[in-house]
Parts: sequence; structure tokens; C-alpha cells
Amino acid sequence: MTHVTIVDRIKRSWAITIKDMKIYYIRPPALMFGILFPVALFFTFTVGRNLSPERLIPVLSAQTVFWSASTIGPVAIPMERRLRTFERFLSAPISLIAVLWGKMMAGFIFGAGITTLATVIGILWGNQTVSNPVALVLGIGLSSMVYSAMGILFASIPTGSPGEVIVPLNFVRIPLMFVSGMFIPVENMPAAGQIVAALSPLTHTIGLLNLGTGSSSVFGFAANIGVLLVWMLVFLYVGQMFHKMIMRRE
Amino acid sequence: MTNNNAIEAHGLTKFYGDFLAVDHISFEVEQGEIFGFLGPNGAGKSTTIRMLTGVSTPTEGTAKIMGFDILKHSVDAKSVMGIVPDISNIYTELSAWENLVFTGKLYGVSKDRREKKAEELLQLFDLYDRRDEKTETFSRGMRRRVCIAMALINDSKVLYLDEPTSGLDVKSVRNIRRRIRELNEDGLTIFLTTHNIEEASQMCDRIAIINRGRIAEIDTPERIRSAMESNQAVEIAFKEQTKGTREMLGRLSSVTEVHKRGDKLRLITNDSAQTLKEILQAIDENGLVPVSLNTLGASMEDAFLWLTGSEMESEIIHRRNRRR
Repeated sequence: MTHVTIVDRIKRSWAITIKDMKIYYIRPPALMFGILFPVALFFTFTVGRNLSPERLIPVLSAQTVFWSASTIGPVAIPMERRLRTFERFLSAPISLIAVLWGKMMAGFIFGAGITTLATVIGILWGNQTVSNPVALVLGIGLSSMVYSAMGILFASIPTGSPGEVIVPLNFVRIPLMFVSGMFIPVENMPAAGQIVAALSPLTHTIGLLNLGTGSSSVFGFAANIGVLLVWMLVFLYVGQMFHKMIMRRE
Repeated sequence: MTNNNAIEAHGLTKFYGDFLAVDHISFEVEQGEIFGFLGPNGAGKSTTIRMLTGVSTPTEGTAKIMGFDILKHSVDAKSVMGIVPDISNIYTELSAWENLVFTGKLYGVSKDRREKKAEELLQLFDLYDRRDEKTETFSRGMRRRVCIAMALINDSKVLYLDEPTSGLDVKSVRNIRRRIRELNEDGLTIFLTTHNIEEASQMCDRIAIINRGRIAEIDTPERIRSAMESNQAVEIAFKEQTKGTREMLGRLSSVTEVHKRGDKLRLITNDSAQTLKEILQAIDENGLVPVSLNTLGASMEDAFLWLTGSEMESEIIHRRNRRR
């Protein structure tokens, strides 16, 4: 019997990541929702408002990581369903979780890469100092993992059209921006709003990025890390479950 | 059941909601065999292949590939198979070389082995000179060859081919059939799904005919065809033909059915010699002018239509009885 070690699984997952990077990073929907959309939203939020760099940089980074990391899965998986290349993974000696992990890593690298670039430009432009590099790196890295997993979860919708995944995903992404302290600080929200904000992963991304650039986090470093980790596991687990359900139906 | 079986299907069943697509089918394919899986559109061929390859989970039943259960030991089962689906699902953004190397990585083939194998396969399928070109520039036949090469990168023992020559030009069809035969001569077991009866008849050691989710027959092409020997036909065309001509021929004692085929009439009979005598007598008595007269043996196509058609008939009778 073949014994597939954890190293073998990682290698096979990584092959999927590299392949996705080659094929999907320059696809129009990935560029549109992964780069143009967060940039446009950032300017919509900042133009005409006299905001300090400490306030602007976390918003810029949070929006970028939120949109870019969650876009690759919803672009790649429906396209692979349409062209039936997704079947290649299902008939290959690789577990579904390893396939989804490979896809998630492609979203993670896309999100983390673009956000790092945007953050560096923001810091240099705002002449800002990084006061907590660990929080900043985790704010970008861990958040990329979370939102990439969120994209994978939505990509379980059995369709061959990326639009049919991105539209319902946007019904979640857009409202989340308004309840996560991005436009209205969490401290200024009503009690119910603060509870929702505490549950939103985006609040904790902003918290970590605030800490990184010298501001404070409403819920604290440990809570930010904990909530993001829980969401990553939930998205990945539920995503895998939905993909399995679809497989049973197909 | 022996260890010589490459594929063993046990009661494979698939429901899509309330619709029963595959109904408790069981069969075995021996190692080194070319096994044809024939059926009309919607018969359950692709659903069966999807269950056998682990793409779709059976509602009931299971299958073993080279002794490995597709559900319980899926990694082992999938490691020994290669799949060519009915469409060439290659990555058109990647080159032929990249497609093969990626598939090798997915199957855990070592770097040296996958590069050596990719080179061999690209040469075997006459693609080596264009290995670095993106496959989006390739013709349909070339993409098909890339797809088959990808299915062989892992030294598979069982190759599933779903409509491998569908929609290809004659040259590509011949090329692919020749390669399939060569691969089989080297010991590869081939599970060939097709609705091209001639292809199945020429290439397969045994054939299963599936209709409405059930296996109607499993046998060698020749035995299936010869089982139809009792259903011979005589085909005749007249210079002038009326409705009365058809009715008159239908009344001949040795004729069981009369079908119109273009400008000809096909008379189904159990005894073509007796039918010929009766036709000649009828021509003489009615003053008819024959243009052509042929006797026809049963073909694989006749066998296929008879097997799938009779199933339909029995189902109609069954439904009628149920309504009563």
C-alpha cells in the first residue's frame, strides 16, 4: 500500500499553488477584485478627508488583504470546474484538504504579496514607523490565510462562472467593512455593533495592523490572533465539508 | 473473483436527487484487457466512469482498482490509474511540458522520473518538438494527445478513456487508436467508453452495453454480434413503390417486420433464403420491378440497437402494466 507522508502531501499541495499562481494571478477577475477594487475603495474612503497616516495605513492594508486574498479561490475554482480541470484533483492520489490547502496558499501568497507592497508604499509615503513588526506581519500574513480560506469556502458553490461566486461573496465582504471599525471606529459603535465587530475577522485584522503602526487594538493582540485563527479553521473546515457535499451530489 | 482483475465494480449505484442514473451495476475487467463500455447518450456511461475514478461518490456499491477499494483506499486506487475524460481537460495556459510535469507532481512522481517520462511520452505522441508552446495554440487532436500523455505520466496500470476519438479528424483518430493498441500490447488495461460501435468492435476484447443505468449485455463483440444471427434482413428497392407494396411484403410468411430505409424496404427475417424465394414469387405475381436486392447479416450496430431498443420496449410494457 502506498504511504503518502505529510511531506508528500505538502509537495503535491505546493504544485497546485505554483500552478494557480502561473494561471490565475493575471486573470481579469483577479486583477479587478484583488487589486483595483481595494485601491478604488481606499481612495473613496480617503479623498477629501484629512486623515492621519496612522489611521490611513491600517485601512489601506486591511482593505487590500481582505479583497485580494479572498479573490483567487473564487476565480480559480469555478474556472477549473468549467474546464473540468478540477476533476484532475479529484481523481489524483491527493486528499481534498490537500487540494484546498494548495488553493488557499495561492490566495495567501497573492493577498500577502499585494498587501505587503501596498503597506510598504503607504509607510514610505506617510513617513510612518513600524512600532510592532510582529503584529504587522501577522496582520498581513494571518489575515491573508483567513480571507483566502473564506474565498475557498464560497468557491464550493457548484458553478463554472467566477461571477456566481464573487457576487454572493461580495454580499458578505461589503457589509463586513461597515461593522469592522474600518470606517467607523469600534469604540463609537453601539453595543450591538461592538458585539458584531468582535466576531468579524476584519476587526481583528485592523487591530493587528493598528498595533503594527503604533495605534492601539480595541480587543488586544491575543484576541486578534485567536479570533483570526478560529475563523481560518472554521472557513477551511466548512469549505472542505461543502466541497465534499458537492462531490457526493455530482 | 481472482487477483487478475484490474477493475471490479460491485453494485455501483448513483442517484441524482430522485433520478436513478446508474442502477446496481457489477462487472469485472481483467488485467491487460481492452474493455468497451457502450451505451446511448444518457445511459450512465460517464457517471460510471466518474464513480470508478473517484470523481463522484457512489450512492451505493463500490469498486476496486487493481485490488484497491476506490472509497476505502482511494489514494492507492488513484495512484494506479490514468484518466482521459470526454473533453481534453488540459491547462491551456501551460505548455505541453508543464502540463505533464504538473501531473507528475500531483501523482508524487520523483523529479528525475517525471522529466524522463514526460520526454518519452511527448516523443511517443509526436509532441516533443512543440513541448514548450502553450497548449492553447494546439489543435483538438494535439490536445487529446497531451491529455492521454498526462494520464500515463504516473506509469498507470489502468487507463480510462472516455470517448477518446470523439470529434477528431480521421488522421488523429487512427493515430490515437494505434497508440491505444500499442499501450495495451505493453500490458496496460484499458477501459474505453464510447458510443462509436465500430470503434468498440475493432478495439475491444469485451464489451459491456449499458442502457438506462443497467448493464444489458457483457460479452466479446463477435459473440454479441453472432447472438443476433437469428435476426437477418433482406433489403429491396423497387422502381416504383406504393404503400401496398410494403403491406404485401409484410404478409410474407417468413417476414417478421418491415422497415422503410430511405428508398429501400428492410425485411427482418429468421430465414433469408425462404424470404428471397417468397419475394421473387411476389414480384412475379404483382408485376413489380426490383432495382436492388441484398441480404444483410446482423451488425454490431443491429445488436446494440436491439439490446438497447428491447430494453426500452420492456420498460414501456413494465410501465403500462404498472399503470394497470
